[in-house]
Amino acid sequence: MDKKMFFGEYGGQFVPETLIPALDELEYWYNKLKKDDKFKAELDTLLRSYAGRPTPVYKAENLSKECGCEIYLKREDLMHTGAHKVNNTLGQALVTKYMGKNRVIAETGAGQHGVATATAAALFGMECTVFMGEVDARRQEPNVKRMQLLGAEVVRVQDGQRTLKDATNAALREWVASVENTHYIIGSIVGPYPFPEMVAYFQSVIGIEANEQCKELGFDPDCVVACVGGGSNAIGIFQGFLDNPNVEIFGVEAGGVSDKDGEHARTIGMGKPGILHGAFSYLVQTPQFQVADVHSISAGLDYPGIGPAHAALNDSGRVTYGYVRDDEALNAFKMLTRKEGIIPALESSHALAYVIENKDRFKGRKVLVNLSGRGDKDMAAILERGLV
Amino acid sequence: MRGFYIVGGYPDREQFKKCLNAVASAGFEFVEVGIPFSEPVADGPVIASAIHEAVMNGVDIEAIMADVREMKQKYPSIKATVMTYANIIHGYGEKKFSDDFGDILSGVIIPDLPSRMHYWMMEKGLSIPVIPFVTPVSRNEDIEAVKDTKAPFVYYISIMGVTGSDKKGAQNDRSETAKKLTGKPVVTGFGIRTKEDADRALNTTGGFVIGTEVVKRQKDFDSFCKYIQQFR
Ligand SMILES: Cc1ncc(COP(=O)(O)O)c(C=O)c1O
Repeated sequence: MDKKMFFGEYGGQFVPETLIPALDELEYWYNKLKKDDKFKAELDTLLRSYAGRPTPVYKAENLSKECGCEIYLKREDLMHTGAHKVNNTLGQALVTKYMGKNRVIAETGAGQHGVATATAAALFGMECTVFMGEVDARRQEPNVKRMQLLGAEVVRVQDGQRTLKDATNAALREWVASVENTHYIIGSIVGPYPFPEMVAYFQSVIGIEANEQCKELGFDPDCVVACVGGGSNAIGIFQGFLDNPNVEIFGVEAGGVSDKDGEHARTIGMGKPGILHGAFSYLVQTPQFQVADVHSISAGLDYPGIGPAHAALNDSGRVTYGYVRDDEALNAFKMLTRKEGIIPALESSHALAYVIENKDRFKGRKVLVNLSGRGDKDMAAILERGLV
Repeated sequence: MRGFYIVGGYPDREQFKKCLNAVASAGFEFVEVGIPFSEPVADGPVIASAIHEAVMNGVDIEAIMADVREMKQKYPSIKATVMTYANIIHGYGEKKFSDDFGDILSGVIIPDLPSRMHYWMMEKGLSIPVIPFVTPVSRNEDIEAVKDTKAPFVYYISIMGVTGSDKKGAQNDRSETAKKLTGKPVVTGFGIRTKEDADRALNTTGGFVIGTEVVKRQKDFDSFCKYIQQFR
């Protein structure tokens, strides 16, 4: 009925009735502000002078030699706070300001979105509460401290698997109770309409920039590769290339340790359509329609759902969704660190690993990889595995 | 209308059956049976932790519904409803769910299916009436949109929050409007604990449903019975 809420057949607003007026209000403001020159100029200035845009496209010569293809990295790892997440949080915090709300909440997995939200809240003088699963809080402890330093309250969520999905449940519950003065800054292209569309809009700057930068360097990439948790960094870079049929596009899911139940986070690869956190999309679930346990070495990819836009891009065949395992991601992490002197986030390492592990497919081609974030936050996980 | 929410299959099948039959035999007008879903985003800690425990022990939709059917055969006048999240009904199949259980259910309550999304499941074959929610922030147009509902009642969520929240009922009471615009009985849920709360709801909106306080006692049959008796 309401086509605008869907990507193909995926999307919708599967949330408690209590949130409907707030979603309508958000839709109203988002549609108004994305056409508002003053808003756009304000956001553009912030992204440039505060957050570090544009980020470069860097040709990784050493890694390219190693892989037999030309690897270009879109350096979102150089963004303020260390990942692409701040593109979205600055945009949504600015929307929050225009809506006249003074408090924001967020869920976080790796802690990157939580830090980016706490950062924007500090900048705008807003109250901020971040929900983080206990398991994630432990594996990304430095990010917990950063959020607290920035003035945010961090709630360690003890329900369920105590990871990103449980943090999202907790944030949704809190939003139902506080919706009148609080905006929920969702961290990926998930959730009820208009979130998937709005977050994709704020992340589209990655792809638009990358497309221009490649053109300046005199080429169109043959392939674009990004890791997919909820899917925001991926949709961000994909949007620069989706309408160029000569560009092959790949999304990389977290393969965890195996395809056994509970040992991977391959939402498209192993899931089937279902409803989680406000949207109809692919979902890793049990035969009894319960959301299944998932696993990834990377907290940011450790999520059983995926944005509805990716579900549609998969079904249409425009994007190919593959996966790499934990150890392959670790190997890519090591390689980029040693060959290029760049320490990537474990999430982004999945995108790199896909290129490294599928050398034949990419042989001789120009491959643009979205390096969505840097790896400082992952030191504990890395040290645990004896990489140093 | 007086009703109680209990978690299906919790803490085990036998105890659930006893609780279900206790509600029916006490002569209450309706019962809401929860089919547990692993992500209970509309539920507070008490119900959420009962649901998590039930999910850990394995949820058997057929078994829960067989118990509801048996209860309905014994007590045909009670209205039975199911409360569960959208993924359970979609996964089971909207049409199959209706074909299999439409004859014993007066309605389904789906906390993550707002009124504007009812059509989505109906198009896929859900023919059991979906009970609409009205909240303190519902606008007139939201309520008007469900005025032709085939549901036996409208569910009024009296607080901004999840089940079991101890907030006071919201200032902005939309239940009168809901009654007027839909012409249906209005049942107040969320935050009803005591006899006084329940009486107030009966006098104002005409109905209540109690969840958290009942689920809290689902493991202890005597205290469960004692608790519900006071509302007779
Ligand atoms: C660096 C980085 N990349 C990727 C992700 C995954 O999210 P998304 O798929 O929305 O880009 C995260 C999430 O925490 C992240 O921190």
